[in-house]
Amino acid sequence: MLSMKNISKVYQTEKVRTHALRDFDLQVNEGEFIAVTGPSGSGKTTFLNIAGMLEGYSSGEYLLDDVNVGQLSDNQRADLRNQKIGFIFQGFNLIPDLNLYENVEVPLRYRGIKSAERKRRIEECLEKVGLGSRAKHLPQQLSGGQQQRVAIARALAGQPRFLLADEPTGNLDSLMARQVMELLEEINRDGATIVMVTHDPELARRAPRNIQVVDGQLADFTLYQSREKDILTPNPQLNPSSNPAEA
Amino acid sequence: MLEIKPIFNALLRSKVSTFLLLVEIAITVAIVSVAAFVIVDRVNYLQQETGYPEESLLHFSVLTFGDVDRMQQIELDEQMLRNIPDVENAVFMQDVPLSGSGSASSFNSQPDPEIENNKSVRAAYTAGDENMIDTLGVNLIAGRDFNPDEIKYGLSMENPPTVIIASKAFVDEMFPEGDGLGQTVYFGPAPIKIIGIVEEMKGPWLQDSRADNMVIFPYVEVRSFDHYVVRTNPEERTAIKRQIEELMLANYDKRVINPAIGFDEAKAQYNAGDILMARMLMVIIVVLIMITIVGIFGLTLFNISKRTKQIGTRRALGARKSDIVKYFLVENAMVCIVGLVVGSAGAVYLGTLLLQEYSLPALDNAFILYTAGFVFLISLMSVLVPANRAANISPSIATRSI
Repeated sequence: MLSMKNISKVYQTEKVRTHALRDFDLQVNEGEFIAVTGPSGSGKTTFLNIAGMLEGYSSGEYLLDDVNVGQLSDNQRADLRNQKIGFIFQGFNLIPDLNLYENVEVPLRYRGIKSAERKRRIEECLEKVGLGSRAKHLPQQLSGGQQQRVAIARALAGQPRFLLADEPTGNLDSLMARQVMELLEEINRDGATIVMVTHDPELARRAPRNIQVVDGQLADFTLYQSREKDILTPNPQLNPSSNPAEA
Repeated sequence: MLEIKPIFNALLRSKVSTFLLLVEIAITVAIVSVAAFVIVDRVNYLQQETGYPEESLLHFSVLTFGDVDRMQQIELDEQMLRNIPDVENAVFMQDVPLSGSGSASSFNSQPDPEIENNKSVRAAYTAGDENMIDTLGVNLIAGRDFNPDEIKYGLSMENPPTVIIASKAFVDEMFPEGDGLGQTVYFGPAPIKIIGIVEEMKGPWLQDSRADNMVIFPYVEVRSFDHYVVRTNPEERTAIKRQIEELMLANYDKRVINPAIGFDEAKAQYNAGDILMARMLMVIIVVLIMITIVGIFGLTLFNISKRTKQIGTRRALGARKSDIVKYFLVENAMVCIVGLVVGSAGAVYLGTLLLQEYSLPALDNAFILYTAGFVFLISLMSVLVPANRAANISPSIATRSI
């Protein structure tokens, strides 16, 4: 479903050239649930942004459902994002002026879905996250966990095949975090492919597949059959002395 | 996809900025449409044809002392003025058109104004000799000029003038059938025959409701101030103005010669208040429009900076750049339309107020319509630059923790 080959991302300023990602290779198959871990500044978010077509890459090849993302125009990328990808952000990113119904409606409007169908999907998704009765509430009237559930409903409303979650539990307490994680697992069981960036080892352990990003590279690539095994295994091919920032 | 309903709901939730923008647009529409109407009205007034070659004409007044035959002196002065090189003609006049000072009276269709079918028309009037029409440079379109034997020297009840030359506006008002030439009107009880009609000939007061009604009598009468009108080659008028005092005093020195002034200059002096008002209103319009542009531009920029993350999120969720531009255009258009409606109602009210309090003509609704259209256009233009800036916000901002 997602194929990245030799993806590099370089941020260039007048004096500094920073490699956020280097020769990043990754294959994600339909229906997988992948946890992406790594230290701060390692390139996790850059990977997520490139995977979600939120930003471009400097070199390499990225195919999403066999579509070469690098050859798409800005409008084509926006349309593809809207149709295939659902986003869940750490800060929820709900629009404060819109109520829950209108927030969930945003991606559906951009897709041009008719009003009746929008209504059906919004109500279904809000029900699914347990907030069906609060459709007219504003985001600020909800707890953090509830807000994240609205964000998940928004991501689900477009019926995406691919969910990208950026620290979805980063702003939640452990109880809320567990609830959100259970919801994501349920969504995955329903068939959606999920890539989740997280700092939380416990959450990462619950994902069937873990990858680690260090210094902009795929440092560790481990497919776990059992959740009881250790998550991280040192990758002998990683050069620990590599420095992402070069003056 | 125009997102009208969610934008409307969002606007209702940010009442203060919406209200401020709405008020700004409403005030601009109300004041600009009324001010533009007043300016156009004044400009039309200032540019109206007077019937005179204003840049060729000058006039001056004389206060005479001493024991001198004034009638004879007038003859001598006129002769001297006509002999100045580049002077086309000169005449002694009772009152001078466009000067803001003159005489007016009602002219009647019957000898007794109390008679039931009497028609009474008000007109300004002046008097002079047979050189009057030629000196004023007006266009005699029907009838004839005065004959020298029709000129009365010294006005008396026993020997009143029996003929007049009148402006077409006066004759048409008095005789709407168009058969005024040769007809008799009454100035008091005295019957006077209309022997000539001038196409256009304004009276002394341009703001008068009957400014086009002007009558010329064929008589010469001395009063405390003598007025002279001189028609010159327009290029030489300034030079001739400078000579007049010296030449008049050389003819007879016991008198005061007031500085000569061009007809156009006299008209400008008379209209100075209107010119100033039109300029002030123009400044007000420009300032209001600038404030509106800057206000909308600034408010949109502020809204964008406040919603950077929201815009990034919308882009992440599939909004095209054009969707973001459309969002801000629609948001602004919705506020603007309400502002235009409120402002148009305000303009109608203001127009009624000006009509009642200052006797201004009724506000033409076309001005409100054009102003509203113009304000709508500049409002959309003001949004376009910040909206394009918003559209260029990267969707990756959505994942940044700022």
